[in-house]
Amino acid sequence: MRTHRLSLRNAGIWINDRFPLRDFWRHHMTHYFAPRNFNFWYYFGSFSLLVLVNQIVTGIWLAMDYTPTAGEAFSSIQHIMRDVHYGWLLRLMHSTGASAFFVVIYLHMYRGLIYGSYKSPRELLWLIGMLLYVTLLLEAFTGYVLPWGQMSYWGAEVITSFASAIPYVGKFLVVWLRGDYSISGVTLHRFFSLHVIAVPLVILVLVFLHLVALHFVGSNNPDGIDINKAKKDKDSMPVGTIPFQPYYVLKDMVGIVVFLAIFFYIVFYMPKMAGIFLEAENFVPANAMQTPDHIAPVWYMTPFYAILRAIPNKMMGLSAMAAAIALMFVLPWLDRSKVRSIRYKGVWSKVAVSVFVVSFIGLGYVGIQPVSPVRSVMAQIFTVGYFAFFLLMPIYTAREKTKPLPGHLTP
Amino acid sequence: MKKWLVILFILWIPLPALADLPAIELEAAPIKRGDVESIKRGAKVFAGTCMACHTLKYLRYDKLARRAGVTYEKMPINVKWPQGSVPPDLSLEADARGVDWIYTYLHSFYLDPSRPTGFNNLLVPNTMMPDMVMSLQGPQALSSDYRLSRTLNHEWRWYDLLVLQQQGRMSPQEFDATIADLVNFLDYAAEPYYMESVHIGARVLAYLLVLFILMYLLKREYWKDVKKK
Repeated sequence: MRTHRLSLRNAGIWINDRFPLRDFWRHHMTHYFAPRNFNFWYYFGSFSLLVLVNQIVTGIWLAMDYTPTAGEAFSSIQHIMRDVHYGWLLRLMHSTGASAFFVVIYLHMYRGLIYGSYKSPRELLWLIGMLLYVTLLLEAFTGYVLPWGQMSYWGAEVITSFASAIPYVGKFLVVWLRGDYSISGVTLHRFFSLHVIAVPLVILVLVFLHLVALHFVGSNNPDGIDINKAKKDKDSMPVGTIPFQPYYVLKDMVGIVVFLAIFFYIVFYMPKMAGIFLEAENFVPANAMQTPDHIAPVWYMTPFYAILRAIPNKMMGLSAMAAAIALMFVLPWLDRSKVRSIRYKGVWSKVAVSVFVVSFIGLGYVGIQPVSPVRSVMAQIFTVGYFAFFLLMPIYTAREKTKPLPGHLTP
Repeated sequence: MKKWLVILFILWIPLPALADLPAIELEAAPIKRGDVESIKRGAKVFAGTCMACHTLKYLRYDKLARRAGVTYEKMPINVKWPQGSVPPDLSLEADARGVDWIYTYLHSFYLDPSRPTGFNNLLVPNTMMPDMVMSLQGPQALSSDYRLSRTLNHEWRWYDLLVLQQQGRMSPQEFDATIADLVNFLDYAAEPYYMESVHIGARVLAYLLVLFILMYLLKREYWKDVKKK
């Protein structure tokens, strides 16, 4: 047998004889062909991957100094903020990352919404993404309890109490969730376990499946036309596509630097975001004897919280809240349009999307604020807007006049 | 007509007596965050005035003090308090309440013989805390005719409702400055990393700006051949 000189190239050959590293790189990077006309809305997928990495890395270091017991949790956070070298930075990156995660995920979902990325053949891609979103809400909720401030405690108390509205098993379920008759150190400890092990594992698996599904069906584009059906050019690339590496890797890098600049501006100069990212009430240690005047979840959950509050009956409110999320799952089957992208849909779809955006942001705003008669009416109007977008979709998408699709990607 | 006037008069009379004091707006604390001299002055005020009752358990000085043998067990905070209320730890007061709140709170004490302490506060009605800054500010009393001085174009402020009876050791200007220093110190106590954060932040953003230029040029170079397709 011939002896091999030790070199990078030979090392590569050695590995590729045993593991499909080169094939993997080709398949998912250099020979993953993406439409050339990705616009602003297409950055948020890679941003969310970046934020995920940020959350995991900063989370690992935070867990080294955090103590998940009722007696120590609050002060261990202050220990991280004051005594651990750059502990404040790790924690502010983690807390800002949580909000940033939802900013980019909401924009990522909005992209899918306006360009019809959920339509055939990408229904499963959308469903996996929706599962990711719900899992992320769970991760955010369990994480929010860990600082063990007043809002951690009472937010958890309110949200776990939702389960009590379920007939027959509700009361049992609440105790089972909390591990106690009210939120306590037991709850804190199990939420810590869920937050650092169980839910992140599920998220990683779902992210993997999301990318597998994406790379199997290929990326949609702002025109919502099928490029895989387009004829291939001499490099066997579908016309109008470019290799992900280097083109989109570099484009995403530019976007990532801009994103990081905004992200770190917030981390260093306004990490509390005027009480939206870090609520003032949560700087007071959890106290089971003292209910805060106004309990609200963090901003990314308030649209659904507002739907819950808009309906006076608790059971009905919870059903509506669950339906609001469930309807997002079945979006691929509600849209009956011949075309994918909003660019070629009719005027009714455009009106509907506008109503949806106003309603969703409106609900989010009302959900943060304390209840008042005017805001209750606003919440009810926005709830109607939210549901109308989904429930009327089979009608307006099927009946409206769509514009003719172009034969190739527009710039 | 006369009847109406009588009814109006009857309706009018009990109103000021029954109604609660109006809620006051917060005053913006005139502090410069990270002003070390101001924080130091504030620390002195805190040590001289507040530390008799309040702890700052998360501040590093506090740990040093413990190691140096300060006996917290004998501080009034650990002695019996009426109704089981204990003066709160103030490490995170600036985060939990905000600097404007503390600044306004310390301005809006007034004499109230009906309270066990002899003092009341506009921001926290029936507060358990006595007016510890009275020696500096001077005693204040609730203005008897504040409702007449109500102007239409601004919300109630503490100074609309209170009258200084007699100046304390400080002029109002000096008092404002001293309270601002104290608030600045409490802001520091809540976020001692703030100056480091500002310092590192500037460098990180400068680095990202350079990186952006390089990345953008690299991307543009690569994408030149894409546009032609």
